[in-house]
Amino acid sequence: METLGNLAFGLGVALSWQNIVYCFIGCFLGTLVGVLPGIGPVATVAMLLPFTFGLGPAPALIMLAGIYYGAQYGGSTTAILVNIPGESSSVVTTLDGHQMARKGRAGPALGIAAIGSFIAGCIATLVVAFFAPPLADLALRFGPAEYFSLMVFGLIAAVVLARGSLLKAIAMVCFGILLGLVGTDVNSGTIRFAFNQPELTDGIGFVALAMAFFGITDVVSNLEHKDKTDVYDERIGSVLPSLQDMRMSFWAIMRGTALGSILGILPGGGALLASFAAYMLEKKVAKPPRNFGEGDIRGVAAPESANNAGAQTSFIPMLTLGIPSNPTMALMIGALMIQGIAPGPQVMTERPELFWGLVASMWVGNLMLLVLNLPLIGVWVKLLAVPYRLLFPAIFVFCCIGVFTVDNKIFDIYVLAGLSAVAYVLFKLDCEPAPLILGFILGPMMEEQMRRAMMINFGDVTIFLTRPISAAFLIAAAGMVMLIALPSLRAKREVALQE
Amino acid sequence: MDFKTIRFLTAAAVGLVLLVQPAFSQTYPSKPIHILVPYAPGGIADIASRIVGAKLTEAWGQQVVVENKPGGNAFIGMTAGAKAPADGYTLTMATVGDVAINPALFKDIPYKWDDYAPISTISDAPMVWAANAATPYRSIADVLAAAKAQPGRLSVGTPGNGSINQVVMEWMALNTGIQFQHIPYKGGAPAAAALAGGDIPFGVLASSSAAPQVKAGRLRVLAVTGAQPSKFNPEWPTLQSQGVKDVDASNWTLLLAPKGTPKEIVDKLQAEVAKILAMPDVKERFAGGGVETIPSTGAELDAKVKKTAQQLSVIVEKAKIKAD
Repeated sequence: METLGNLAFGLGVALSWQNIVYCFIGCFLGTLVGVLPGIGPVATVAMLLPFTFGLGPAPALIMLAGIYYGAQYGGSTTAILVNIPGESSSVVTTLDGHQMARKGRAGPALGIAAIGSFIAGCIATLVVAFFAPPLADLALRFGPAEYFSLMVFGLIAAVVLARGSLLKAIAMVCFGILLGLVGTDVNSGTIRFAFNQPELTDGIGFVALAMAFFGITDVVSNLEHKDKTDVYDERIGSVLPSLQDMRMSFWAIMRGTALGSILGILPGGGALLASFAAYMLEKKVAKPPRNFGEGDIRGVAAPESANNAGAQTSFIPMLTLGIPSNPTMALMIGALMIQGIAPGPQVMTERPELFWGLVASMWVGNLMLLVLNLPLIGVWVKLLAVPYRLLFPAIFVFCCIGVFTVDNKIFDIYVLAGLSAVAYVLFKLDCEPAPLILGFILGPMMEEQMRRAMMINFGDVTIFLTRPISAAFLIAAAGMVMLIALPSLRAKREVALQE
Repeated sequence: MDFKTIRFLTAAAVGLVLLVQPAFSQTYPSKPIHILVPYAPGGIADIASRIVGAKLTEAWGQQVVVENKPGGNAFIGMTAGAKAPADGYTLTMATVGDVAINPALFKDIPYKWDDYAPISTISDAPMVWAANAATPYRSIADVLAAAKAQPGRLSVGTPGNGSINQVVMEWMALNTGIQFQHIPYKGGAPAAAALAGGDIPFGVLASSSAAPQVKAGRLRVLAVTGAQPSKFNPEWPTLQSQGVKDVDASNWTLLLAPKGTPKEIVDKLQAEVAKILAMPDVKERFAGGGVETIPSTGAELDAKVKKTAQQLSVIVEKAKIKAD
């Protein structure tokens, strides 16, 4: 009951004129940078940080938060219509979302992405309001052993995610891990595969990698076929999904929201990991008929719900512990410190108007985003509906700007160019990029956590099995291996029987 | 053109240059100033630049742009700052580690202290030696006793290899003849989280990341690493007062111009920055993160960097800290 009272108090703060205006600015900017490929919330928040000086802490935080979760909405639009993730967390949305658009179902795809995000956003707001402190404790209980086992689970799931050849998927995961290992090893400080380039000592940028594999490659492959452009240039039609779509997607949205809410609070992954995980889960547990990869609406609903839920719950460790789980949250902490507020557990009690105002503003913001993204979808589509010969250079430019703004380094644009060449060759060889991306993210984290777990426990390997959460993940990972193994065993048997 | 005309023109040109030189610094700044930060947004160097930059804009009516150039152990941002034109329009906000630890740590470091014209020290963030609240350790004496009983079996988390936090840990180890197991993290936040969650018993952290966890009852601060107690938490004793001789370190930031920047410009910047750092609202902003403002002259900064670099390089060498 107390929480409801607090939420009401928060709504009072969030619904003041000033805060509504800043919430709208945040959501609008978020949608915009979400739609534009490459340019992400981190760069946007960094650029706007000085402007928050003059605002109070509440409107500043409300606006910056709006940018972050707004970008999760906007990213799906580009993913569905142009097959390029507008935001790194909408990488998986391209898989089924764009296939839906190809089949003339762009409207429902956009609709379900917005509706799923809205439902997830509303539920995640409640999760933040009711469970922030206990969830923060859960995040703290994740030690290096738990992270390692979670990563093992994730990597094995990455192989399951892949379409087509299992061998290629494993090869792509390994290649992704190798790319991820470029840079300074956290545990020893050794610089690996950097070839004496100071720019490489921090590794290959994720944005450059994602844009190379999901942005540039797609554009180039489109340009190969003169007659076919991937942009959806017909009328979008109704964005409202049919009743059957809704019925099909309902549990996908719920599962995506649940998974996103949990993964969002863990450092490192946030919205990105959440969307991948939700897609993989859906692929395994959704009711047949399953057409994943060919335009299954659940393949849009689940990851889009998950990334929005994850974006919102990633505020939990920041608000309740003062610990950022991703770069955007680190910037929020910076914004708080500039306002003279030390982020940490006391923010909730000492500055309730800030905490509850922000939480309530997420509701307001999600509602605004639903409006921005559904009836006004035409505006965003217009941005993308220009002829392809004009659009593709624009996409290139935006990808380059986006990659540049991450660290203000020209070098990253060369990395983008080099990786694009690699990505195109792999594309021609029919190798799926999704496992590579996951290997890139999870591999180095896995190594870091494993070695740290070993260091802390002075070389005792049993730690991974004696800690319950860690053991559970490892068992689940073993189960996944069985899942992969069994159908192929079965298939072999069937072949044998036919002969 | 006869000889006379040439002589006249030369004289005129020289006169013009002489005229322009002071005029140049009088009209400074006549275009936007860039402050390079060799770190990602959100860190103390970044926050310090944004606070000071906003006030410089107010004072001089010229936009001050904070430009983050993170990466390569701060090499990228520091090198860009050293190589920028020496006209006062490109400044660098460095941290103590960049100028006092990196030179000892890396053989082929692409910049050196002589590449810069020091303007002023900016902010000073105390560091603390903290223990997880569930551990039995209540003072540095407890830590030393435990470390002597089981050498090398006490884990200490820091924000990374070669960080000033690690150097402080090794400094303490050297001066007391003990050994710790160093656990580096990817930055201060994950180290603080690991300590708060009990993954490791100890950590050397910025006081700003420790203070909220102390309030929440997750951490206990055993000592501050400076020679003086922190202004904001006077109840925390120093390492020196608990028998760890000589150790005196904090994480401070400094503002630099490229070497060869006209003295008038450096002085003008120094004077304005000193004014800014004394403003109550600026002090308050820094205080929000448990950070003090520490204005200085360029000469004071130069001496401070040289002294600190000398002290820390000995520790880096003796403790065999390596990062490449």
